[in-house]
Amino acid sequence: MPIEGALLGTVRGLLRPSTWRIALRNVARNTRRTAIVLTAITVGLSSMLLAMAINYGMIFQMIQTAIRTDLGHVQVHARGWSDQPGIEWTLSQTRTEAGLTPAPGKVLAAAPRVRGEGLVFSPRASVGVRVLGVDPVREAELSAVAASVTEGQYLGSEQRRVVVGERLAERLKVGVGDKVVVSVQDVLGDMTGEAFRIGGTFRTASRDIDEGVVFLRIGEGQALFGLEDAVTEWVLLAEADGDEEALREEVGARLGDEVEVSTWKELRPFLVQMMDMFKQTGWVLYAAIFIAMAFGIANVLLMAVMERIREIGILMAIGMAPGRVVASIVAESIVLTGLGVAGGVALGLFSIEALSGGIDLSRWSEGLVTWGIPPKIVPALPEGELWVPVGIATITALLASLWPAVRAVRIRPAEAVRHI
Amino acid sequence: MLEAHDVFKVYDTRGVETRALDGVSLEIEAGEFTALAGPSGSGKTTLLNLFGALDSATSGSIRLDGQELSELKPAELAHLRLHQLGFVFQAYNLIPVLTARENVEFVMELQGIPAAERRERSLAVLAEVGLADLEAKRPLEMSGGQQQRVAVARAIVTNPRLVLADEPTANLDSHTAERLLDLMEEMNREHGVTFLFSTHDPMVIEKARRVVRLRDGRIFADEARAA
Repeated sequence: MPIEGALLGTVRGLLRPSTWRIALRNVARNTRRTAIVLTAITVGLSSMLLAMAINYGMIFQMIQTAIRTDLGHVQVHARGWSDQPGIEWTLSQTRTEAGLTPAPGKVLAAAPRVRGEGLVFSPRASVGVRVLGVDPVREAELSAVAASVTEGQYLGSEQRRVVVGERLAERLKVGVGDKVVVSVQDVLGDMTGEAFRIGGTFRTASRDIDEGVVFLRIGEGQALFGLEDAVTEWVLLAEADGDEEALREEVGARLGDEVEVSTWKELRPFLVQMMDMFKQTGWVLYAAIFIAMAFGIANVLLMAVMERIREIGILMAIGMAPGRVVASIVAESIVLTGLGVAGGVALGLFSIEALSGGIDLSRWSEGLVTWGIPPKIVPALPEGELWVPVGIATITALLASLWPAVRAVRIRPAEAVRHI
Repeated sequence: MLEAHDVFKVYDTRGVETRALDGVSLEIEAGEFTALAGPSGSGKTTLLNLFGALDSATSGSIRLDGQELSELKPAELAHLRLHQLGFVFQAYNLIPVLTARENVEFVMELQGIPAAERRERSLAVLAEVGLADLEAKRPLEMSGGQQQRVAVARAIVTNPRLVLADEPTANLDSHTAERLLDLMEEMNREHGVTFLFSTHDPMVIEKARRVVRLRDGRIFADEARAA
């Protein structure tokens, strides 16, 4: 049988309504067997979708934690900063602010910062930290730290106050109201330090922030580092995730060549790699589920073909061409898979919706916080991700039907019509 | 119309050769109502299958209207069966998931006949075989005789030149078998459809106008009878 003729016959067969009518009725013929296969596909697919949604939920929350505690969507630095980040790469706060006024489209918030390295001393301990000088009002619009204060207050009008994470306070063995000394190397390379009181402590989903950052008012940061009115970075929060590339382009065009504008993906490539890794893991999951599904469907169809040898023989005897025989098996496979995938997607989406309040993983919060993952995971499935299993399932259905279809076409009508 | 010339058919089952047809030559003319008679294993079903392009001869020639069947490809054989032949088998002739009307329509659908015409013709032919009120029934909801009549309706609905019937009365009681034979005889007489049966049922043999008797794969008698 020439391949082109058979393919054409199969395609023509698949365009006939009767092919689908017979396929539907054949699927309904052995209800128990169909139910078992559909249950397997539905449970497998929905479990996979839920697992993927949990994975994506974790990585999305990890990214959100990084964006909302430190990175923002876009950061502006002086050109050269990315080669060797340091306090010496400064921007004029007023000139940069003027360049960003009015705010670029889709910007939710923008804030200047002074960022440098230093040491914080308490009477009992000392810890190496990042020192972040922030504008308390503007910073609160883009960072979750202000809203995460658990004791005391976030930075305000009071002078010589710092805010630290609970973990850092624990390491320093200090509490709200206690005195600490922040020591840094200023822009000229001289060691300098100032005494501050702990104004508040906070807890976020990021161990990195909770354990290694001291927040103080931007003016005091500038004084500490000897920067006068200069800042080391501007942080911008876009209205929506995914807008960062457009925002970077616009800000870059406005501020010119003197600055470098980076998205969170460039600032923390590790997060992008994590997302890629989750996607790769997803493909392994898909492959495992769909290979198992392919064997299940092929098995059912093969049993159906063997049970219907006489029937197929009669169809061939009355003139059904080989391509149409293949079409009938392929259609049955697609119907079976289609029902299973519809059930799997429905159950998967229902499970994701049912868990939209979050899955409590606080038992493992000590480990999760290292990765910036909050103790409550909200499953999330990107829109496009839903079509991947549907597409793969359709291909699986076609592949799974090939073996039974070839068996069916090889049936010799003269023998088949005598088959009992 | 149909010619077999020096046809041999040998089955090879795990190295054991069985000669089902042993040099058979036979001609069937248009309009005949002929029975291939003989005991089990005589080769009548094998010969019927060869005439119906369901199987191929080991050697020899089978021609339908001068066309050598062994020269045709599987798709061409399917096309020939679809457009020129009708089949009635011993039992379980129908597609169980289709109703009587859908079973009859299906062969027309394979031919590409439009839906409205299919419906009209299938209802007409079902009425002709006396099953107008059972058109929506599925095979399992009908008796064996009713199923065979649907099979006859399906076999004749496309106006084939030749209907091949393999033991069509084997699973029917004598009354039902006689009614079915009367129906086929009527189709033959009124529409000129050629019928070729393989059978060992005396009733079929009695009604046939020509009886070709086979034994051990050979024709040993060929009797023509008055209509």
